[in-house]
Amino acid sequence: MDISIQFKKGALELCVLVLIHERDRYGYELAQSVSEHIEVAEGALYPLLRRLVIEGYCTTYLQESTGGPPRKYYKLTPAGEIHMNKLVIEWKQFVRNVSTLIEKGTSSDE
Amino acid sequence: MNKSEYLALLHSHLSDLPPEERNELMEDYQAHFAFALQNGRSEADVIQELGHPAELAKEALGNRLPQEPIYWFGPGSPSSNHVPDPGPVPPVTPVTPHRGSFATAMVYTGLFFVDIIIGPLLLTLWSLWFALAAMAVGGLVSPFALGLEYLWYGELYQAKAFAVLALVGIGILLAIVSKRTFKDIKNLTLSFWAWHTRTVRGEQQYE
Repeated sequence: MDISIQFKKGALELCVLVLIHERDRYGYELAQSVSEHIEVAEGALYPLLRRLVIEGYCTTYLQESTGGPPRKYYKLTPAGEIHMNKLVIEWKQFVRNVSTLIEKGTSSDE
Repeated sequence: MNKSEYLALLHSHLSDLPPEERNELMEDYQAHFAFALQNGRSEADVIQELGHPAELAKEALGNRLPQEPIYWFGPGSPSSNHVPDPGPVPPVTPVTPHRGSFATAMVYTGLFFVDIIIGPLLLTLWSLWFALAAMAVGGLVSPFALGLEYLWYGELYQAKAFAVLALVGIGILLAIVSKRTFKDIKNLTLSFWAWHTRTVRGEQQYE
């Protein structure tokens, strides 16, 4: 349980970057989209998003919404796209390596 | 816990952050509540989904806490907040470098000269030790020799008995000395040998 939380936290940045890459999204929308796929404390998104902005991977802009507060949209910068691609490659490699290890380890059991 | 209690708790947990950063995050959470309620979610659901304020605060503080102390004042350039990317881990190369034939020849030549100095030196040390040990053994067995002599000839010289006393004392002392020197010489020989094999194989690490 605890370990799986760590996994999710690690993957969260990547998921968010990919979702913003798909199209500009605002915070609540991102929370909804992320929790469609992985179960995570949605509140953790906002510190993460802030960090992405500080690091120059995202920019924000406000858009008025009907009957609610203005939506703060997040937009991926070119640097953010490079960062995302790097993370995607690293992620795939990591998953592949771990899967290979697991397969090797569990098949030699028998 | 309702929405305003949750936000108040969150606000207090975020008190270590610089005020403008805290306000920005608080606005984000307020907006989150607004959108969620607009979509027909209950406050309790939203609170459940957001996670505990202490956890969120740890998340918010964790982005900066390990790298630098938090200042409430000063310009604080935003770029100094994030950790520099450590970059990809360099691939681990096997430690055994393959020497060329020339280098190998030079290493063996060098080792040869070292060996013809160190080898005899070690041998000398060992023979010295052997002499020491032999003297110790001689001293310690001298009472038996005296006893044998007495059994054989049936007579005992007092002078010899006193000499044996002294010899046993010397033997004990020499035995102690030789035991210590044995350890030292053994360690010296073994470490020289270990160094020798390492040099031959050209490994960097110690065994």
